[in-house]
Amino acid sequence: MAEPTRPPSPTSQCRKLERSGNRSGFAQARAGRSGPLLKGKTVRLLFFAATACLAHDMWIEPASFSPAPGQVVGLKLRVGQDLLGDPIPRDPSLINQFVVEDAQGRKQVPGRNGSDPAGYIRASAAGMHVVGYRSNASPVELPAAQFNQYLKEEGLEGVIAERARKNLTGAAARELFSRCAKSLVLSGTPSPAQGDRTLGFTLELVAERNPYTLRAGEELPVRLTYENKPLEGALVVAMNRANPDEKVSARSGKDGRVKLRLPAAAKMWLVKAVHMVPAPAGSGAEWQSFWASLTFGPAQTAVKAD
Amino acid sequence: MRFLLTLVLAVLAPAHEIGTTRVLVNFDSARTYEVEIATDATNLAEKLEQIAGGELAEGLDAARLEPLIAAREQEFRRRVKIQFDGVAVQPAIGLKLTPPVDANSAILATIRLTGAIPAGASNFTWSYGWTFVQYALSVRTGPGETPATVWLEGGRTSEPISVLSTMPMDRWSIAWRYLVLGFTHIIPHGLDHTLFVLGIYLLSSRLRSVLWQVSAFTAAHSITLGLSMYGLINVPASIVEPVIALSIAYVAVENIFLSELKSWRVGLVFVFGLLHGMGFAGVLQELGLPRSEFVTALLTFNLGVEAGQLTVIGLAFLLVGWRWSQRSWYRARIAVPASLLIAVTAFYWTYERLFL
Repeated sequence: MAEPTRPPSPTSQCRKLERSGNRSGFAQARAGRSGPLLKGKTVRLLFFAATACLAHDMWIEPASFSPAPGQVVGLKLRVGQDLLGDPIPRDPSLINQFVVEDAQGRKQVPGRNGSDPAGYIRASAAGMHVVGYRSNASPVELPAAQFNQYLKEEGLEGVIAERARKNLTGAAARELFSRCAKSLVLSGTPSPAQGDRTLGFTLELVAERNPYTLRAGEELPVRLTYENKPLEGALVVAMNRANPDEKVSARSGKDGRVKLRLPAAAKMWLVKAVHMVPAPAGSGAEWQSFWASLTFGPAQTAVKAD
Repeated sequence: MRFLLTLVLAVLAPAHEIGTTRVLVNFDSARTYEVEIATDATNLAEKLEQIAGGELAEGLDAARLEPLIAAREQEFRRRVKIQFDGVAVQPAIGLKLTPPVDANSAILATIRLTGAIPAGASNFTWSYGWTFVQYALSVRTGPGETPATVWLEGGRTSEPISVLSTMPMDRWSIAWRYLVLGFTHIIPHGLDHTLFVLGIYLLSSRLRSVLWQVSAFTAAHSITLGLSMYGLINVPASIVEPVIALSIAYVAVENIFLSELKSWRVGLVFVFGLLHGMGFAGVLQELGLPRSEFVTALLTFNLGVEAGQLTVIGLAFLLVGWRWSQRSWYRARIAVPASLLIAVTAFYWTYERLFL
C-alpha cells in the first residue's frame, strides 16, 4: 500500500446522498457496544477517492452572545459548512493566538487541551468582548478538480487566472491554510459606542458598526484587511444559522469595505472571506490561504442611545 | 475520548484540524460487518436538528439526547454509505449514549451499523458525511487482528477495503478463487511480468531455451513468494518494483545482442525470478490470504501465475512463433524490434517507479 499523502483540509462532502431504506431502527437495536477505538498503533494514510467538494469554514461559536456581566462563556471552535460544524477541541499545536479584547485590554483565552469548548472567557464587565482565534498553518494537498472548484466557490478568480496563465489548471495544488476567526460577545445593553476591534490578524474582518444595534433593513459595514491594509475585490459572504442557504454576499471595494444588508434573523450570523496568495518559497506549498470569519448574535431590540 | 484525542494529536503533527469522530469497522468470519461510529452526541444532535430546520435546546443530558437522535434516524442514514463491490447496503442501526466521564468531556454517541456481507463480495467502501473534518477510520479484517487505521476526510469515500479474508469457503472454492487471482495478476493486470516473460520467449525460438528459462523463473519466484508470505523475508516495494522494471529491460536488451541460450542467462533469469516473486507477494499480501487455507491459497495463486505466464508464451507462439520463427528474418524483424520496444517501456517504468 502506498505511503500516505496528507489529507486534511477545508474540503468537504457536499453531494446528495441517497435515501436509505432499512427500517431496523435506532430504537430496536439500542444495545450498542462502545468498544475501544484506535487500538492499533499503525497509522497509515491512504489516498482518498475524490469527490466533488467545497471548502470548509471555521468559526467561533460562544455558548452565549449576550452573557450577563460576570458570566463564564464557553467558546466552541467549529469547522464545517453552511453552519453545520464539527467541534475542534483545543489543540496547542494549532493555536497561534487565542485572545479576547475588551475595554480593559487584551487577554489570552484559557482552556484545557483536548477539550471542546476550546476556551472560556468571563464577561467581567458590560460591553463588547472581541474574541479572536488565529491558527497556525495546516498543509493540504488537493486534486486539481477539487482545488479549482473550491477556488470558484470562494471567489478566488485571481488564483484561477494565475493557474491558467502558468498552465497549471490541471495540476493538483499544495496549500497552507490558516484561520483568522473572530467573534463578538456583548454583555449588557448594546450601544453604538461599542464595537468590534482590530486584532491585527493576517486577514481580518472588522465590523464597522455594532451589529447588535442594527435595525431591520439597515446595512452592516464590514472592512476586510490583509496584513493590515484594505483588501479589494474579495468575496465576503454572510449567512445566518436560521437559514444558512440564503447567503448575503458582496465584493470588497477599494477601501476593503462591504455593506451587508442583513435581514432580521433570530440566530447567529457568520461573515466570512478567504484570501489566497503564493506560498513563501521553501514552504513546500504553492499557495497559502487565510480564512477570516466573524460571528455575532442577532441584533437586540433594546439599544442604549449614545 | 480525551485520551484518543491526545493520541491522535501526537500522531498527527504538523497541525491539522481533527474532529472528535472515530470509526471502527469489524469484519468477522461469519461474513458479517459492524461499523461503530463514536462521536460527540450533542454535536450530532445539533447537526441533525439543524438539517431538519430546528434547533437543539441547550444543556441536554444523555437521556434527553438519545430519543432526539433516534428520531432522526432517516436523516442520519442519508449521509452514511456502506458499499460492497460498489453496491450500497442497508445496515441495521443501533445507538447508545454514554454520559461524559468528567466535566470536560462530551456525551459520547456510539452508533453501530451491522449486517451481513453480501455473498461473493470482495471489497468494502465507507463514507460518513456527518463530520466535515478528518477522522480516524480503523478497520479490523478478522477477529483478534490489529486494526489498521487511516485518516479520512468527512464525506469522502474510503479506498476499497478487501473482505476476502472473511470469506468462509471450502478448499476448492478458495483454490479456484486464488488460481483466478494469480492468473489475472499476469493477464490482464501484470503487464510488467507479461513483458518479462515475452522477453524470455523472444531470446530464441528453440523449445529448450524457453523451457530452461521458464523453469528457472518459476522455481525462483515460487521460493520468494513463499518466503515473503511466511514473513521470512521482507523487501520493501520501493526497492522490488524498480528492480523488477530493470530486470525486464535487461532481458530485453540482452535479446538484442544474444541469439542463443547461455547458462549464465538461465542463472540471471533465476535471480530475476526471485525479485518477481517478491512482487507477487506484495500483491498477495494486499489481497489477503484466508488463514484456514493459507497453503492452498498460496499454491493456487502461484499456479495461477504459472498459467498466466504459459498463456503469454502460448499466445506469442501462436501469433508469431509458429509461422515465422524459422524464417531468416524472424530475429531482425520481430525478435529484435519487439525486444527494443520492451526495453524502452521497461526503462521508462524504472524511471517512473524510482522518481515519479
